[in-house]
Amino acid sequence: MATGTNAVHADIEALKGFHEALVRFRYAQRGVAERGGDEIAMTRASLAAKASRWQARLEQCQAELDACRAADGEEAADCSAQVRAVEQAGERLEHVRRWQQRVDAGAGEFGGAAGAYLDLLEVDLPRAESRLLAIITSLEAARRVPAGET
Amino acid sequence: MTARPDRDGGEQLGLLGAAWEDVAQHWQDEVAHRFETDHWTPLAQRSRAYLAALGALLDVLETAERETEF
Repeated sequence: MATGTNAVHADIEALKGFHEALVRFRYAQRGVAERGGDEIAMTRASLAAKASRWQARLEQCQAELDACRAADGEEAADCSAQVRAVEQAGERLEHVRRWQQRVDAGAGEFGGAAGAYLDLLEVDLPRAESRLLAIITSLEAARRVPAGET
Repeated sequence: MTARPDRDGGEQLGLLGAAWEDVAQHWQDEVAHRFETDHWTPLAQRSRAYLAALGALLDVLETAERETEF
């Protein structure tokens, strides 16, 4: 009955191929994780820029409404267009802010999963690669032992 | 156009899964079973879970961009 390293019945080249695939996967998934982080950062920046733009627009519309209401004239000025503009800018600003909160919540929730996965890539996966290398080394050593000496 | 990272990751996981299937044909002893239990299965499961979570978040990010275009 085969024991120890001889108990491993495997094609060494296939094992080496799988080891290389594991290493490639680790690097590729690091890139995936980085790109995921980049996407979050880009979306946050984009939403912040939109919020800033609508905040400025709201202030401008409010100033125009104030100017309309303060205008001198024999009849009361019709400021309904300015009122609508203020309402619309305010609604859009709030809409963007709600999406900012939703993205922050999603990114926060995802952060835990992402951290755990990075640990897997940095710790567990190299351990698996080392284990596989040790198996390959043992198998190669066993193959070098002439028949009858085991 | 660059593919979404979750889809690229899924493709890479598919390639690794194919490589595992290939090696598993040649490697069917106790050591292989232990490696599968201790390393391969957790790696595949956690990778799938991570990529699904990333995909769900990227859907939210895309929707956020779309919904805030005025």
